[in-house]
Amino acid sequence: MSGVELAPAEIQVLQDLTILVFAPLLSGAIAKIESRLQGRRGPRVLQPYYDIAKLFRKETLVPEDSSFVFLAAPVVAFVCYLTVPLLIPVLTSFPLPLGYMGDILGGGFVLALAGFSVALAAAETGGPYAQLGSSRAMTFGALIEPSILFVTFTVALVTGTDLPYFEAAAVRSSLSQAVRPAHLLAAFAFFLVVLADTGRIPVETHVSTLEFGMIDEARTLEHSGPALALLKWGSTMKQMVLYVILINVFIAPWGLAGSRQLGPVLLAIPAFLAKALGVGTIFAVIDNAFSKLRLFKITEFMAAAFLLAALAVLVLYLGGG
Amino acid sequence: MESLLAAVTAPSAVTDAAETVAILVLLSEFAMLRSALSRSQVNLYAFQSLAVAALAFIVAAERHVNDLFVLGSLSLLLKVVIVPAILSRVLREAPDDVAGSHRLGVASMVMSAIVLSGFGIFVIGTMPIHSKLLPVLALAIAAAVILVAFLLVIVRSDVVSQAIGFFSLENGVSLAGYVLAAGLPLIAEVAFLFDLLVAVVVFGVLMRVHHGRSASLSTRALEKLRG
Amino acid sequence: MSAVLIALMVLPFAAAVASAAAPMRVAKVLTVAGGLSTFGLSISLLESKGDAAALAGWLRVDPLSLVFLLAVAFLYVTTAIFAVGYAQPRSSERETRHYSRRFFAGLNLFAWAMVMAPVVNGFTLLWVAIEVTTVVSALLVATDDTDGAVEAAWKYVLIASMGLGVALLATLVMYYAGTASLGGSYELFYPRLLAAAGHFNPEVVRLAFGLAVVGFGTKMGLVPVHTWLPDAHSEAPTPVSALLSGALLTVSFYGILRFYQVTTRAVGPAYPRSVLLVFGIASLALAALYLARQRDLKRLLAYSSIEHMGILAIGMSFSAPIAVVGVLLQVLAHAAAKSTAFFGAGSVIAKFGTKELERVRGGIGALPWSGPMFLLSVLALSAMPPFGIFRSEFLIVEGGLGSSATALVAVLLLLVTIAFLGLSWYASQTMLTPLPSGVVRGEVSTTMALSMGLGLAALVLLGIHPPAQLSELLTRAAGELRGAR
Repeated sequence: MSGVELAPAEIQVLQDLTILVFAPLLSGAIAKIESRLQGRRGPRVLQPYYDIAKLFRKETLVPEDSSFVFLAAPVVAFVCYLTVPLLIPVLTSFPLPLGYMGDILGGGFVLALAGFSVALAAAETGGPYAQLGSSRAMTFGALIEPSILFVTFTVALVTGTDLPYFEAAAVRSSLSQAVRPAHLLAAFAFFLVVLADTGRIPVETHVSTLEFGMIDEARTLEHSGPALALLKWGSTMKQMVLYVILINVFIAPWGLAGSRQLGPVLLAIPAFLAKALGVGTIFAVIDNAFSKLRLFKITEFMAAAFLLAALAVLVLYLGGG
Repeated sequence: MESLLAAVTAPSAVTDAAETVAILVLLSEFAMLRSALSRSQVNLYAFQSLAVAALAFIVAAERHVNDLFVLGSLSLLLKVVIVPAILSRVLREAPDDVAGSHRLGVASMVMSAIVLSGFGIFVIGTMPIHSKLLPVLALAIAAAVILVAFLLVIVRSDVVSQAIGFFSLENGVSLAGYVLAAGLPLIAEVAFLFDLLVAVVVFGVLMRVHHGRSASLSTRALEKLRG
Repeated sequence: MSAVLIALMVLPFAAAVASAAAPMRVAKVLTVAGGLSTFGLSISLLESKGDAAALAGWLRVDPLSLVFLLAVAFLYVTTAIFAVGYAQPRSSERETRHYSRRFFAGLNLFAWAMVMAPVVNGFTLLWVAIEVTTVVSALLVATDDTDGAVEAAWKYVLIASMGLGVALLATLVMYYAGTASLGGSYELFYPRLLAAAGHFNPEVVRLAFGLAVVGFGTKMGLVPVHTWLPDAHSEAPTPVSALLSGALLTVSFYGILRFYQVTTRAVGPAYPRSVLLVFGIASLALAALYLARQRDLKRLLAYSSIEHMGILAIGMSFSAPIAVVGVLLQVLAHAAAKSTAFFGAGSVIAKFGTKELERVRGGIGALPWSGPMFLLSVLALSAMPPFGIFRSEFLIVEGGLGSSATALVAVLLLLVTIAFLGLSWYASQTMLTPLPSGVVRGEVSTTMALSMGLGLAALVLLGIHPPAQLSELLTRAAGELRGAR
């Protein structure tokens, strides 16, 4: 197989496909680990695929009084989640041409656009729980934003750019880069951000059916059929995208393809899935070990994430870090 | 891309370790701000002292400063073992819950503490201070620890947090001492430690007296004298 | 002379240990003996022209420290005499023993720590001595075991310890400033630092001085870090209040002056002067306002202490040499005047059973000796002639005019006048009013009155004609402080 060299555009498409295809698998695997940890047998690993497929066969119900936004939002969000993988190192360690299209902030904006459109659609429906969910999601999204910003600053201070590829390269360059305090702080802060953004304990119980505690999940309550399928699929993709950033930029940017050869590029896919499974296990353990915070205590969680990110920047200010 | 990477100067591993430990000292100070149990307050102090002592050992081993081995062991014994033991003894009969003693919400408390730490770090950053033994960041963090300790004493109205605030301030000063005055004669350092021990005893006596009189750890009863 | 220094280190400590073991009667004698011997030893140091060292240079007295040593030693004597009458047996034998042990051992230990602060050589031991004064005096403040006393003691030990933490940081920064020229490991002895100060990094020295003023200023009672002071002074037993106010505050001031000395040589006098000026004005202004409206007799005197500390700081900010002499004289006069006033307040409180100014009337009638003496001591505090503070504040004002800081002097005089009005209004209200029925005429205790007499005598001596040796000492100390050699 060696010798076959892929064009950059082909790798870029492959990145998107990886996310598209394997995202539900990752969610299913993590759910499986979680139930095993709780002593249950749990759903099949492939269950998310079945769910999505089933939903695509159902009809779409649109609430009265809602406009085109309601139907457009899932599509917009889905496209957003397909755009971000173009900007981040999913498979290769070297930047692909479209990687220069947007930095970490750009990726963040695209993700935020997805969240915004879903929230907008939820607000449109007039359903009380959906509106509650979207207002909460926007509030906590705004609260976690400063942390993301400061993590970005850290990356910018370390590498002189804020492209995710360069941060990953800096971490790979030497062990002392990987254990330098600023990097550890920023990585941990981003870990907390991912925890919050994927709707995990201690911020949210993602498997709960109790509407009062819901944040992200409540937004999709009014959707049905293919639109809901897109939203569910999209949310697994969002999780995977965040995992990619966390793993391939901050925690373990190893095992990526260093060249455009077909072999290494294809190998990078299982390598990433293995790493993601490891991180997913950590999330599952946290899910079991902690309890959900009261809604008003979530600000404390956000404050902790911000503290770490801000410290990372402060530490870097003094050169060392 | 190569040129970009070349601009990234990676600090040495020892510096990294020292800085990480210093940051742990600061993070435990932040945890004290939030901690809701007097027992965990004492444990956090013990952990912080452990980190400070570890820093002494790192410097001692790396730069072959033998005095620091002695000092590190002494402060380990005193601040990780004896002082927490005294405090736990004093608090044995006291209620464990000091959660209600915040004068500020946790989030605003953490924000103020971040601002204070930032101030401390920036001020030290402007100072022409360099140390052969430790990165100057450790000093900046010591400044941050001291400022946050002040905040801790101000925003928490229970005797345990206030006393721990003072002790952790002393930890911050010790940390600063490793950067500024690693060569300070051992006898002086020992005198400082002895002073701390005496202060701990006095704090303990007063805490016990206060608890004996008011059956609580809150200092809200201690706000009568004015004018 | 080195034997004298060692005796100064040993005797008060021995008195503390012995009075912890002895019954109250013996403890009283031991305390007075400790005070007298310490004062005698300090006077004998005057002969040496203030130059003595012992224990390989760890103990050292120069003119500057001798000034403060004299103030502390004098207060030690008068407080000891006052305490003889003040300490009364408690309800049971056992309680008396307990109280006596705690009170007299603590008093001697407190005095010992304050004697050590000027006698030790170097910033590290100075800090240790001052921190010891904090912890010992905090326990003394809590002696009475009332709600107020516990609150005051807690605030005091917490705030003062935090402040001293900052002072310790100042010491470490000063040490760092010296490492460039004195090597990586050295002792922080004053002469060595002063000799090398010219080569110190100015930025670092500035940082050290700023931290030192905040740190030691907390114990000295400079606004805005004075908050513990009125509480501790009003709730402590009277002899302890006198020591706190008359000696402890100035000993902390001594700590600042040591930093001032090094800083002046390293960065010139402008910076330390302006720092002290800011704190001094703030202290004086706030104290004057609180003096004008006060309910509690001892708090009144406490704010008067803050006022005097403000004047000391302002005096140091004037460039004319005569102002510095005034500051040092003020240290001595303040010690005598403030302790006398507190002793008087102690007699008044014992007589009337209250600290509230509203409920004390006819003091002169009730206390034939202490009453008038209290009135005189308040006049002395307000810088009336012929007392020592008049002379010292006169010198400070003269120095201010000499350094063409006329506007500043005007502010100073205005604030001092406000303070004077407040003090004398309350003093006349409590003393010069008709005696209410039901209060028996007569002294509370002879020794309490005696200690006041000693204080007034010293004030008159300082005001009318200070001994030649003392004047010379003050001039030399001022010269050292200003960097003239």
